[in-house]
Amino acid sequence: MTFLPSFDIRYSELEDLASLEEWFLDPSACNDYPFDIEEKGDALKNWIGFSRFKASLTGTLDNKPCAIATLFLMPYKKVMHHCGFYLMVDPACRRKGIGTSMLRNIFHLAKTRFSLEAVHAEIFEPSPLLPLLEKLGFQIFARQENYMKVEGCPRSRLLLEHFFNE
Amino acid sequence: MNKSPLEIRFAIDSDQQYLIEWLLQPGVLRWFPLTDLREIEDAARIWMSYAKQEAVLTALWDGIPCGVANLYLQPYKKLSHQSLFAIIVDEKHRGKGIGTKLLGELMTLGKERFKLELIHLEVYEGNPAIHLYERLGFQQYGMQRKFVKDQGQYLNKILMQKIM
Repeated sequence: MTFLPSFDIRYSELEDLASLEEWFLDPSACNDYPFDIEEKGDALKNWIGFSRFKASLTGTLDNKPCAIATLFLMPYKKVMHHCGFYLMVDPACRRKGIGTSMLRNIFHLAKTRFSLEAVHAEIFEPSPLLPLLEKLGFQIFARQENYMKVEGCPRSRLLLEHFFNE
Repeated sequence: MNKSPLEIRFAIDSDQQYLIEWLLQPGVLRWFPLTDLREIEDAARIWMSYAKQEAVLTALWDGIPCGVANLYLQPYKKLSHQSLFAIIVDEKHRGKGIGTKLLGELMTLGKERFKLELIHLEVYEGNPAIHLYERLGFQQYGMQRKFVKDQGQYLNKILMQKIM
């Protein structure tokens, strides 16, 4: 990671929704998510809602939010030993290692606070997140063609998982 | 000619009580990620919420609900050409072809009414329903290890799909 003296990480707050909304103003920001620009309202509210459980971290630069990583905790006991997650980095703050740092921290939170055994990710090909996930030890367990369609063009879904103790 | 005792209709609100009753059957519950009544009621409420869109079908045996299948229609446009689904049949009515009929009708509904191109499901390893899905043309496209943890025992989740 580039040395960023003013970078810090704290628990997310519901008010961080404003930052998420700002980062998703650009229509292309929705490319790697299942929702589009008209549908993002409820999706982003649901996302930041996990901050109520202390399951979301916000990265800051000079005390201004620059990234949010969130564990989407599972609602049922038999499956609460793992969960999915979302990550968004302010488009103006990319390529500084912030995404990597956020993921390392959210996985640490997953292990220590929530005693999770694994995390999983859903991405859509081609995804800029794939190399980072593979670097962090994720393995693909499913590939589903034609899962998403953007203006008629099909995109495949990749599902990846990472077990903390394997 | 005798009329078949098996009929399929769109689900109605009162079917939710049957769904909860079947999920409480140990032989059914073991194949779902649910543990107690609170979780079962929550899942049944979500399941039946798709009835408003006429995406839930109920099988009746001699006029009494004996199975339910639903499409979890996607809320986003980019995903609206495909759907996950779930199916449940009352333990007491197993082996009567109810699952086959129900799933056949659900696929027709998905294709004709909702213009689905892809339908998919999640099932735990060892579930005998996998044979039904294979017979109906579903193919495995992935497997998530240790998806369920029940009393210290893990179960893998198998992901299957069918192109319509």
